[in-house]
Amino acid sequence: MTTAVNTASIGIERSPGLWSLAWKRLLRDKIAIVSMVIVIAFLLLALASAVGLVAGGWNNEIAKNYAPPTWFKGSTTEEDLSKSNKSAAAGPSLDTGLSRPEFVNDRDPLRDTITELKQQLGQSTSGGADEIKIVDPLADVIAELKKKLGRTGDGDANEVEAEKLSSLAFGADKWGRSVFDKVVQGSETSITVGFAAALVATLIGAFLGALAGYYGGKTDDFLNWFYSIFNSIPYILLVLAIAAVLNKKGILTVVLILGLTGWASIFRVVRAEYMKHKARDYVRAANAIGASHARRMFVHIFPNISHVILVQLSLYVVIFIKSEVILSYLGFGVGVDTVSWGSMLNEAQNELILGYWWQLGAATLFMAILVTAFSLFTDSLRDALDPKLK
Amino acid sequence: MAAYIVRRLWQIVPTMLGVILLIFFLFNVVGGDPAYLLAGKISNPETIANIRKQLGIDEPYYVQLWIFIKQVVTFDFGQSWSTNEYVSSIFATRLPASLMIGIPLLIVEAIIAILIALGVAYVRGSLTDRAVMVSCTVAQSVSILVYIIVFQYVLAYKFGWFPVQGWGNGFFENLFKYASLPILIALVVSLAPNIRLYRTFLLDEINQDYVRTARAKGLTENRVMLVHVLRNAAIPIITNLMIQLPGLLVGLFLIERFFSIPGIGREVILSVERSDFPVIKAITVYVALATMLANLAADLLYKAVDPRVELK
Amino acid sequence: MDLLTTFRTQGGLGRCGAAILCALSVLVVGCGDRSPKSAQQSASDAAVSSAVSPVQADGKKVLRIPFVVAETGFDPANVHDLYSSIVVEGIFDSLLTYDYLAEPAKVVPKITTEMPLAEDGGKVYTVKLRKGIYFSPHPVFGDKKRELVARDVTYSIMRHYDDSIKPVWRFLIEGKIVGLDDWYAANKKAGKIDWDAKIPGIEEIDSHTIRFRLTKPDVNFNYVLAHPAMSIVAREVIEKYPNDAQANPVGTSAYYLKEWVRGQKIALEKNPNFRGGTWDFKPSGKDPYDEILVKQMQGKPLAQIDRVEIYPIEEEQSRWLAFKDKQLDLINIPGNFSTQAIPGGNLAPELLAQGIRLQKMVDPEYTYTYFQWNDPIWGGSEPHKVALRRAAAMAINRDEEINVIRKGQAIKAEFIVPKGVAGHKEDFKSNIEYNPALANALLDKFGYKKDTDGYRRTPDGKPLIFRYNSTPTALEREFDELYKKNMDAIGIRFESEKEKFSDAIKREKRCQVKIRGAAWIADYPDGDNFTQLLYSRNIGESNNACYKSEAYDKLYEQSRVLPDGPERDKIYLEMQKQFEADTPWAMGVTRLRNQAIYPWVLGYKKHPVLLAEWMYMDINTGKGK
Repeated sequence: MTTAVNTASIGIERSPGLWSLAWKRLLRDKIAIVSMVIVIAFLLLALASAVGLVAGGWNNEIAKNYAPPTWFKGSTTEEDLSKSNKSAAAGPSLDTGLSRPEFVNDRDPLRDTITELKQQLGQSTSGGADEIKIVDPLADVIAELKKKLGRTGDGDANEVEAEKLSSLAFGADKWGRSVFDKVVQGSETSITVGFAAALVATLIGAFLGALAGYYGGKTDDFLNWFYSIFNSIPYILLVLAIAAVLNKKGILTVVLILGLTGWASIFRVVRAEYMKHKARDYVRAANAIGASHARRMFVHIFPNISHVILVQLSLYVVIFIKSEVILSYLGFGVGVDTVSWGSMLNEAQNELILGYWWQLGAATLFMAILVTAFSLFTDSLRDALDPKLK
Repeated sequence: MAAYIVRRLWQIVPTMLGVILLIFFLFNVVGGDPAYLLAGKISNPETIANIRKQLGIDEPYYVQLWIFIKQVVTFDFGQSWSTNEYVSSIFATRLPASLMIGIPLLIVEAIIAILIALGVAYVRGSLTDRAVMVSCTVAQSVSILVYIIVFQYVLAYKFGWFPVQGWGNGFFENLFKYASLPILIALVVSLAPNIRLYRTFLLDEINQDYVRTARAKGLTENRVMLVHVLRNAAIPIITNLMIQLPGLLVGLFLIERFFSIPGIGREVILSVERSDFPVIKAITVYVALATMLANLAADLLYKAVDPRVELK
Repeated sequence: MDLLTTFRTQGGLGRCGAAILCALSVLVVGCGDRSPKSAQQSASDAAVSSAVSPVQADGKKVLRIPFVVAETGFDPANVHDLYSSIVVEGIFDSLLTYDYLAEPAKVVPKITTEMPLAEDGGKVYTVKLRKGIYFSPHPVFGDKKRELVARDVTYSIMRHYDDSIKPVWRFLIEGKIVGLDDWYAANKKAGKIDWDAKIPGIEEIDSHTIRFRLTKPDVNFNYVLAHPAMSIVAREVIEKYPNDAQANPVGTSAYYLKEWVRGQKIALEKNPNFRGGTWDFKPSGKDPYDEILVKQMQGKPLAQIDRVEIYPIEEEQSRWLAFKDKQLDLINIPGNFSTQAIPGGNLAPELLAQGIRLQKMVDPEYTYTYFQWNDPIWGGSEPHKVALRRAAAMAINRDEEINVIRKGQAIKAEFIVPKGVAGHKEDFKSNIEYNPALANALLDKFGYKKDTDGYRRTPDGKPLIFRYNSTPTALEREFDELYKKNMDAIGIRFESEKEKFSDAIKREKRCQVKIRGAAWIADYPDGDNFTQLLYSRNIGESNNACYKSEAYDKLYEQSRVLPDGPERDKIYLEMQKQFEADTPWAMGVTRLRNQAIYPWVLGYKKHPVLLAEWMYMDINTGKGK
């Protein structure tokens, strides 16, 4: 019964082919197709990175610090690199010599243990054993352990340093990690953040907006009050405050900060749509046959305004991907176990002047391509769904 | 009309109360304790206790909240906790700098965005239309942080077209020398969404009956566009500008920091870092008030121009 | 390490090694490999002699310098950040100061006729003020020149006991001066401050003579009198601005506050009532550049510079470009740009060609990463906990910190007293050095077994986490990256905990922060200022690890009453041993300071302790020479 009413009601309000018509219009739009392909490519890239097909080793230090892109024969020569890498040695020659023998710390409870371990590891010791021994609380334990662990030299002690590359496709960052891997991994993070935060904001905003618009009256007054509070507080203060409350690092925190502070704009739009729709005939009809409020709100009205929500959602994705950069600048970006475009841009802040422009360039390029494609796609989507603005 | 205005103004009270509660909760209850910053390098418990007492943060929350409300009502937020500067003087000295960037930005942006929007609306659907829209989109897809870093280095330092950073005392010195690059950067990132929006406003008008009538009367397309369409589209455009203004007070913090401009945005970041609650409170309350008044003004403007708009 | 934004000083040390001197300046002759650069050098020599400040302000000499963070205010008793202290020192006089060139730093009279006369084994100090020390003009003084007298000294010290101004430097004198604490207690009881009281321990013998009586002998009292917090203010001015002495500093030193746009610009101009004096310092003999300074300045009246403009510029890029754009006369080269400015330790040719001079020095400071002594897993003196801290300390790769994060501009700190501070042991090398293999073996031995996820657990099977507390800054993010890598290498899980600075300090004082990076810079160049960091009675104040060791405490108490010398050095070595045995901290680095200075700035040398050297400097404006 309800299904019948449902389809019928949509049929009354909108032509049955709203979505298919929009889709057809979208396909006629060349820009829309190109941007859709780019967005899908990025999504696939993010997915591949998520399942570990690409860029899984972004955290490996495979190249020399700030190794330039392979194709870039700029001013940064290998000599420069090695020079800058060695600047420590050249500058503070005040550093104490490494070959100096250890002194005997008669206060150290671990002295014997460490001497013994060093012998096992094949590391040189300065023969502290002959020195005067003071009361050592660990003496017995150590003697016992000595018997048990009578072997010498652990295998992993002297691992050979792998040869570091002097150039990479997109260059390397200050630790010698591949910028390309980082930017791919960053795509995954930033896209995840963008979509997840957009979803959070949309869920909150659309749900509250639906309640306010549908029920009106006291509910509307209350939610509108709540909305205007969020809308009135300067955005940056809200972000800083919520970031301080959620003082744990991670993607989830970033998503929550963005989602919790960003829901206000969709609230207004959805509220207005629900106010418009609740007075329409098909909703009255649903009411007449006894559909519940929840049913009317979400089964009947929702499909009719879902295109508005979709456009808002995709606007959010773009906004949040860009906001993540600012969050990173403020120090509330993702943690060090992940990398995002925002964290890369902030890391690369000073690298441009130093001539190491590739990390800044790569992150900017990737972000610009996706954000442009997504924005254009959103525009086309809006036009396709609402053709009178064409 | 008057009744409406009174009612809307009256509505500011509960909203402001909500703003006060939220900010109080976020910064006073779960936020940082400034006493530890103000105590300097070596601080013993007595020093901390004394600072807390002097600042009044050892009082129960309801007392502190009441003080906050009194401050909002009297518009007297006292002195900054970290610098002892009167909050009113913070506004007097920081606001001009923020406005010096914000207002020219809004004006220039409006002029350019309207001109481009008119142009593309005129040739809507053409290749030019699409090309302009795509290039604007590309321009805004680069993070403002990148623009700042690159423009400061290349345009200001390498080419020497602008000062690298700084702020002067003279009005024209600031406007033409120090504010130009910051305005340019803000322009690049904000132009695209506004062109898009104004184009929509213009197209909305173009589809109206009166435009068709005007055309039918034999008016030239130029005249139709410039006189009829633009005049009517001006309302939503002006409204949009008004609503944007309060956000500009604190929204330019990145630019203000990089170019060492003594604006409100830079002050916000600094005061949050220092847990300088009087300053945070004052900036929040003033910006919230400005936002609400701007929204009211925008609604009134709509009403004044288009009587069909229902004021509720 | 986030202390650096709040408390980092401009200090630095002049006791440079020979290699540093080589790098020090283009003007240093006979220093090894100068042949490839000789052409550039002669070019820049020419640039130096003719270089003239770009600021031409009616013949006034203007010095423009940056601040890294915004200042807060200039009341000597409650100035709580380093940058404001710099301004305080430029405006106010303390009784004593430091010799501009002497190495090691030496306390000398500033507004006294001679060094205080110490009697009774350091319990009584008699100070004679110079005549003719005048405050800068201010309406409260009327048309008269207001002279600084003994009562001003007493009043300025008493102010540290005025709770209403939130004093933060009271610890420097607390419990030291006879009768001062009693006077405070009496005021508290009475509910008001008796400003006219006589303090038994601060006897005003006549208008220009003061006798301090201390509760016990104090060999460091001269350092206290030289501290900018002990600057002398005029009571009339302070009482004129009951709530805002911070914005109305009126002192007797060479400069007064002319214009202040907070967080934007601080402009100081020469105090017309300044007492004057002649530039007369002897080269230290340890730094060839001293000779040049002396040549530039000897015999000139003090305070050649008419105006000092200070600009707080938070962003490194902006600050560095502003310097290169000649908007600033000198700069402490931001760490991130040092690879470009001083590749391989020498000034880049591009900067050299402009005659820019590089001054390198070591700050009297160190950084350290502490482990919470009260933590059930990381703290305490049981062997397996010592082993855990030791292993973590041995896993931290300070070479990489220095090369990658600090861009080579730091050296490893080894001793509990840093370089350049009395009591430092030259060429000492700690036994705790980077050795991940040993760290792993140590952990294995003490039962920190790896779980299935590859991370170790405590011997009793609890999760083991290196929870590193820091502020959300770009620099700290680099430390997160480094420490995560280092801890991963020994199978300890890394977690970062981001907090606002004030929140972290609050928990730190309560011994609740597990692991955090901190830094300490000398308030005065004596080892005591550092060894007290581990003294258990300073828990809740400066002992942020909450380290408690009876053995260390005993040694510290012995060392405290001794002046600098071999006897104290011996105790310091024992303290170092105890410190290493317990490993309450992983020792960090001592940072190098690289000042880049345009050639028109004359007579400038960053002093290791002094904050504001302006009155000893000059600017070449190309006129009147």
